Amino acid sequence: TPRHATPGIPSRSLPARKPGNVLEEARARLHVSSVPDSLPCREQEFQDIYSFVESKIVGGNGGCMYISGVPGTGKTATVHEVIRCLQHASEQDELPSFRFIEINGMKMTDPHQAYVQILQKLTNQKATADHAAALLEKRFSNPAPQKETTVLLVDELDLLWTKKQNVMYNLFDWPTRRYARLVVLAIANTMDLPERIMINRVASRLGLTRMSFQPYSFKQLQQIITSRLNQVKAFEEDAVQLVSRKVAALSGDARRCLDICRRATEICEHSSSRQPGSGLVGMAHVMEALDEMFSSSYISAIRCASTQEQLFLRAVIAEFRRLGLEEATFQQVFVQHRALCRMEGLQPISVSEGLAVCQRLGTSRILLLEPSRLDLLLRVRLNVSQDDVLYALKED
Amino acid sequence: MSKRKVKDQQLTVGQCVCQVGLCHIRIRVHRILRERFCFQKLPSAPVGLESQHKHLLELLKRTAIHGESNSVLIVGPRGAGKTMLLKSVLNELLDVKEVKSNILLVQLNGLLQTDDRIALKEITRQLNLENVVGDKVFGSFAENLAFLLEALKKGDRSSSRPVLFTLDEFDLFTHHKNQTLLYNLFDISQSAQTPVAVVGLTCRVDVLELLEKRVKSRFSHRQIQALSPMDFPQYVELVQQQLSLPQEFPDGRFAHEWNNSVKALCEDKSVEDVLRKHFNLSKDFRSLHMLLFLALSCVTPSNPTIKPSLLLEASRLCTMDCKANMLHGLSILELCLIIAMKHLNDHYQDEPFNFEMVYNEFKKFLQRKSHSVHSFEKPVVIKAFEHLQQLELIRPVDGSASRTQKEYQLMKLLLDHTQVMEALQRYPQCPTDVKQWATSAFG
Repeated sequence: TPRHATPGIPSRSLPARKPGNVLEEARARLHVSSVPDSLPCREQEFQDIYSFVESKIVGGNGGCMYISGVPGTGKTATVHEVIRCLQHASEQDELPSFRFIEINGMKMTDPHQAYVQILQKLTNQKATADHAAALLEKRFSNPAPQKETTVLLVDELDLLWTKKQNVMYNLFDWPTRRYARLVVLAIANTMDLPERIMINRVASRLGLTRMSFQPYSFKQLQQIITSRLNQVKAFEEDAVQLVSRKVAALSGDARRCLDICRRATEICEHSSSRQPGSGLVGMAHVMEALDEMFSSSYISAIRCASTQEQLFLRAVIAEFRRLGLEEATFQQVFVQHRALCRMEGLQPISVSEGLAVCQRLGTSRILLLEPSRLDLLLRVRLNVSQDDVLYALKED
Repeated sequence: MSKRKVKDQQLTVGQCVCQVGLCHIRIRVHRILRERFCFQKLPSAPVGLESQHKHLLELLKRTAIHGESNSVLIVGPRGAGKTMLLKSVLNELLDVKEVKSNILLVQLNGLLQTDDRIALKEITRQLNLENVVGDKVFGSFAENLAFLLEALKKGDRSSSRPVLFTLDEFDLFTHHKNQTLLYNLFDISQSAQTPVAVVGLTCRVDVLELLEKRVKSRFSHRQIQALSPMDFPQYVELVQQQLSLPQEFPDGRFAHEWNNSVKALCEDKSVEDVLRKHFNLSKDFRSLHMLLFLALSCVTPSNPTIKPSLLLEASRLCTMDCKANMLHGLSILELCLIIAMKHLNDHYQDEPFNFEMVYNEFKKFLQRKSHSVHSFEKPVVIKAFEHLQQLELIRPVDGSASRTQKEYQLMKLLLDHTQVMEALQRYPQCPTDVKQWATSAFG
């Protein structure tokens, strides 16, 4: 990189258009990126993290905390909110000042880059990974007058795993140093990550301060949506409830919930342009959006396949039934296919064409195939359940 | 060449001019239609994918105009018009004046950008960021990533230009290490940074199962399925539309005649049979274009219109069985070996065989029945056997390749029963006793 390049994207010639009507306003608010000032339904977790970090800052010592939870449960957002509040408090001189740095395991190319990024964010210095590690080591183990506390957020911790685990070891070892004054907040998805992938000395340094974020329940999801909408009247109550119940039953992922709501506003807008209705997002729109996002695309793919492809799938099932297995060679299936062709009154197709049909189903992954070099001997398996295939083929 | 000259001399001057003019027209016809069939020229309106077109257009418009970040996957089988859909949407989008100067395009392809390092360089180059000097991107992989993320982070919704990422062969991007690129693209689309739209194109229906959990959570789960519920009459209409000349063709009379002949062609019974067969096989546009192109390339000055016979011939070329063609080129000895293998397969229920077994079977035939086939030396027969292996008409069973001796290596036949019988019927001057041996139940 040239020395003083400043990263940036060119700016637009025209500013972006502001939302014009209620639905557009609602859509802008429902976008995942517009994080609200205070997160609903995460008060308890917020309080726990806040008091942990606050006590460390006030006490002037270091510590680690491990935060886990499935994606989309508000881990990173909660931590950011805690930091925002603490920064606010320190600006008001209620707290000693502190520094906040953030690294993300997915945003670096190699676990050792963590050192480089931490050093750069701390001192604005560029160095190679080894050099940066040495510099950080020195910084954290030597006493320095008037050092402020550093809060380090490590997102996607499991990506920092290396064979010797030295990156993780260092991250959790620094806070135990006497002069370091480092607070590490580590975030990952699985609850048992310390037991599963860390060797003992790393896990023991991580300590027992742990917190897990439970998936949102439907009430919480509902509350999240209503708080986001914040008096913008765009949704019917029942519609919001349906979305939250569906999402809570599947994953409890708030992102999914917001995305579905956003899609529902689009569907509503589209349909109200055809037939002016109430302008509210109702049950029908939400149902359509849910269908779109949750339904399996296998069935529609099978329904839109050509006649011979559908026939081939039927031949596969017929052969599986005959064999009592879930696997057959192309040759065996093709015998069935030919018989089916005869029954349907279609012209029989040649082996090359049959293979092409089979390959086409293989590339869209309705079938799982071995490499095509094996020719007649390649083994065919279904990637969908037989019931789904039969259901898709029946309705016409 | 000389023949044509003689012909030209016999024509009168007027006819000559006419001939030259027609030649030009025909070249133009070829050019127009070839653009359609070979170079995937965009149609003026999307065919069969109108609602998907509208959905995608609105989505990208919102990104361009309102600065809303989005992600979407276009899923459909090969040749279903995914790229056509995307391209026509982009064309229409860039026609809007408000959009044209306000959007940055980044196009990636999973076949070219085979890992994140290359993809990142390509993104940096296409965005023309500050660490690009000339056509080269400087800095290490890690620096590039940090630089790009920093650049995108600095932007915000209302003031920075939206970036539109199109990822062709999206499923190949999921095989990259840790899915770093996808995570970052989707993460940007879910956070308040530079507005981006990520459009992925793939033919795999199970593409969402390839994504890691955290990447999947950041993807908006919007899928556009490029599937058209086309039926046969629509297919025929499409064929007619594809073959017709446009309104603005310079020679109006010729275009009219041509279009009429195309219309007549599509109503022909035999043509309909051919098209129905193709339609039954697959609905993709590419195989249709292949068929039409083969038919079109036989249109010459002496053969000016496209006739049903041309289409029949083209269809025959398209649907030829390649293995059967290979069998035609074999010698009688090789054919005999294949028949012997077929008998072994019949007898032992598709168990693998080795050369000795085949040779024995062949010898039995020679002793008992044959009058026309000489008894060959064993090395000659081995040679023929090896030739069959080279053509991959037989292949060794896995695992026994290196250890065993050639004659005792277990093999399997890669030919279907019907292919052998059909090839025998059509083999030029096949000895009668060989044919009889093939049809007799157990050799």
